[in-house]
Amino acid sequence: MVFSSLTFLFGYLPLTLALYFLTPLRRRNFVLLAVSLFFYGWGEPVYVGIMFLSIFIDYSHGLLVEKFRDRDRLARWFVGQSVVCNLLLLGFFKYWDFLAANLSLIPGVDLPRLGLPLPLGISFFTFQTMSYTIDVYRQDAPVQRNIIDFGAYVTLFPQLIAGPIVKYKTVAAELVSRTVTSQDFAGGACRFTVGLAKKVLLANAAGALWESCLASQSAGALTVAGGWTGLFAFGFQIYFDFSGYSDMAIGLGRILGFRFNENFDHPYLSTSVGEFWRRWHMSLTSWFREYLYFPLGGSRAGKARTLRNLLIVWFCTGFWHGASWNFILWGLYFGLWLILERFVFKDLLTRTPVWVKRVYTLLVVFVGWGIFAMEDLGICGKYLAVCFGGGPLWSGPDGYRLRSWAVVLLLLALGSTTLAADLWRKMPERGRKALAPVLMALGLVVSTAYLVDGSYNPFLYFRF
Amino acid sequence: MTTRYSRFLSAFFCLFLGGLLAWHALLPDRDRSDVENRTLAQFPAFSWEGLKDGSFTQGVEDYFADQFPLRDQWTGLKARTEQLLGKREFNGVYLCGDALIAKVDPPRDGLEEKNLSYVSRLAERTELPVYLGLIPPAAEIRKDDLPKGAESWDQAAFIAQAADLEGVESIDFLSPLAAHAGEDIFYRTDHHWTTQGAYYGYAALMEALGRDGEVLEQEVYDRRSFPPAFNGFQGTLYSQSGVHWLEPDTIELWVTGAGLSITSWRDGTPKEAPLYDLDKLDTKDKYAVFLGGNQPLCVIKNSEGQGKLLLIRDSYADSMAPFLALHFEEVHLLDPRYYRYSAAKYAEENGLDAIAVVYSVPNFITDRNLVLLAQ
Repeated sequence: MVFSSLTFLFGYLPLTLALYFLTPLRRRNFVLLAVSLFFYGWGEPVYVGIMFLSIFIDYSHGLLVEKFRDRDRLARWFVGQSVVCNLLLLGFFKYWDFLAANLSLIPGVDLPRLGLPLPLGISFFTFQTMSYTIDVYRQDAPVQRNIIDFGAYVTLFPQLIAGPIVKYKTVAAELVSRTVTSQDFAGGACRFTVGLAKKVLLANAAGALWESCLASQSAGALTVAGGWTGLFAFGFQIYFDFSGYSDMAIGLGRILGFRFNENFDHPYLSTSVGEFWRRWHMSLTSWFREYLYFPLGGSRAGKARTLRNLLIVWFCTGFWHGASWNFILWGLYFGLWLILERFVFKDLLTRTPVWVKRVYTLLVVFVGWGIFAMEDLGICGKYLAVCFGGGPLWSGPDGYRLRSWAVVLLLLALGSTTLAADLWRKMPERGRKALAPVLMALGLVVSTAYLVDGSYNPFLYFRF
Repeated sequence: MTTRYSRFLSAFFCLFLGGLLAWHALLPDRDRSDVENRTLAQFPAFSWEGLKDGSFTQGVEDYFADQFPLRDQWTGLKARTEQLLGKREFNGVYLCGDALIAKVDPPRDGLEEKNLSYVSRLAERTELPVYLGLIPPAAEIRKDDLPKGAESWDQAAFIAQAADLEGVESIDFLSPLAAHAGEDIFYRTDHHWTTQGAYYGYAALMEALGRDGEVLEQEVYDRRSFPPAFNGFQGTLYSQSGVHWLEPDTIELWVTGAGLSITSWRDGTPKEAPLYDLDKLDTKDKYAVFLGGNQPLCVIKNSEGQGKLLLIRDSYADSMAPFLALHFEEVHLLDPRYYRYSAAKYAEENGLDAIAVVYSVPNFITDRNLVLLAQ
């Protein structure tokens, strides 16, 4: 199930909230576990088994790590075992076909491809549960002895299928005891509505524009203007889609009594590629920093090691996004820019005016979206070649496209700045009070209209 | 936020979600949607097999969406919002002033070439003269009214290509329709041509058959129009686009007092049928007033007419048939989507004199049943 579906909004969500709040406090984790498993099993009921397996593996390994705390080698062994189990789970379901296809290119090797559907959110929950055993080992989080409470963490439906990646230590305390005030509920509901509107109204509109540009490319009619329109449309689509989903997850979390960390901080205002990654999908960046980059030695072990570590981390970041060469290339592309920023541009960037740095960052990022969006590297290469002058500058359909989407593009651009938040903050209390219900009604009603109209609304991060 | 105010906001949120859920639950399920012209999903029967392969949960989602309260109103609200955002295209339909025009997408898989070749094969298989007429819809005839720069496939080039098809005579619908582009030859909310448009089509067909001398003047007909008493006609484009604020269309029947006998094969057996099925004016699909709508085969006989014509056609021919009926002893209207039989054999067995393939361009380039022509 995805949040932006009628079944979720007007079936699952009201029933779940009613059940949750009618249940006494101490039984709520059990309800959460049950409704989350239902949520997870909706699309692929068989895969509920993976959830049970994942809960069992990490629950038991947490206990083992705690038990052998005094025997460090054994404790480390169990941490390693848990990480390997999670990576095997991820590797089997997500990467097997990719590896098999590429290894089979070697003469004499012929590995079968399984074509299994990817379990929802497997990239997210395997990373979350890995953080649990590691945190227990590092004594950053207490071990969880109640399997129901632990199961509720693993399956927690708000962030189960598309993040943010909630580290165990973030919610460890709330898992045991939490309260929901009416302020939490109202704040969560507002946040959820904002996310829903971002996804349904903005991301889908940007997606339609991107599809239209991509169609021009396959018809051989792409122009320089159309190419860049498409790159920006896709960049906006993925931003509003993914940050909208995070907003919905954070909002639902608050309604249920959890405070998840923020996942996006207006990334398109960044003044360097490095800053972009500190403001984009922050939970993933910090996961890799904490559980991969630092353990590898980070940047404290000399230039060569730092370079190696950066390349490893960015290879993994790219590969995490999908089992395909373009994602690996995309990750390394960012790795390269970050290395350049760190070792080559450093002095140059400090002397550059802010607006130039913003333009530079956006160019790097949006060209990157081109690599991200087109899995077929042949198509991707041709598309980007047109963007950089390998085609006519302008054609009639470009004018039509820009006229049709002018208002939407303006909303997308303004929506990725802090403008709306600033205006909201500056508004007098009375104005905000009067406006909040109006905006909430507008967001819910118009989003519902778009959902009823469109039969199909896949999340971009739905199959990650 | 004060506690009171947050309770108010929270209640508001819950009421919206829960209220629509309750409404959904209390609303009786509908069997079909006339606006969408399809049956609606019902709650699926549970089975473990269905749960395992995901068809059960998918069925529930379909049911939930199809039976959603105020479905048509939500769609209309979405179209209004899009209009506010400056869009002129609504689910593949352009809003051009007071009329809707369906966008024509380029053909896929070379289907347009294949279908042309099937028509050639038909001409090779039969001794009878074969005619091909492709009807350009509003997107071609009213090209200049489309939003500036809006894409729609170039049909004129394809029609020209079809006109050069070897062994096949061509019927030129493009020129007369283009010459009368300023008149109301297409409905504003439906993709079909109006009776006025069908009249020009009939004249073009008669000309191609070399019988243009017989074409009746427009003044001969007694025009009866059916708007107010029947709530007006809101056609397929009204449904597809969600643009619900246009003035409804008027359907005109151009009547003469000739005696005809019509036989419809709707379900495999011949049945007497009227030229105009006036009951259809009470339904959503009012265009079905002509011959009663889609059917595999329809034969119109007129003892005073001359010649026997086989018309292999789509629904555009429904409104042209009343004109043709006055001139031919027999007109056989055959729809290959439903009538699965060799056209050449049918023509031989029924002693027909000529075969005309008459299709609108969008149907011709997407229809996968024309292979029957080659058999």
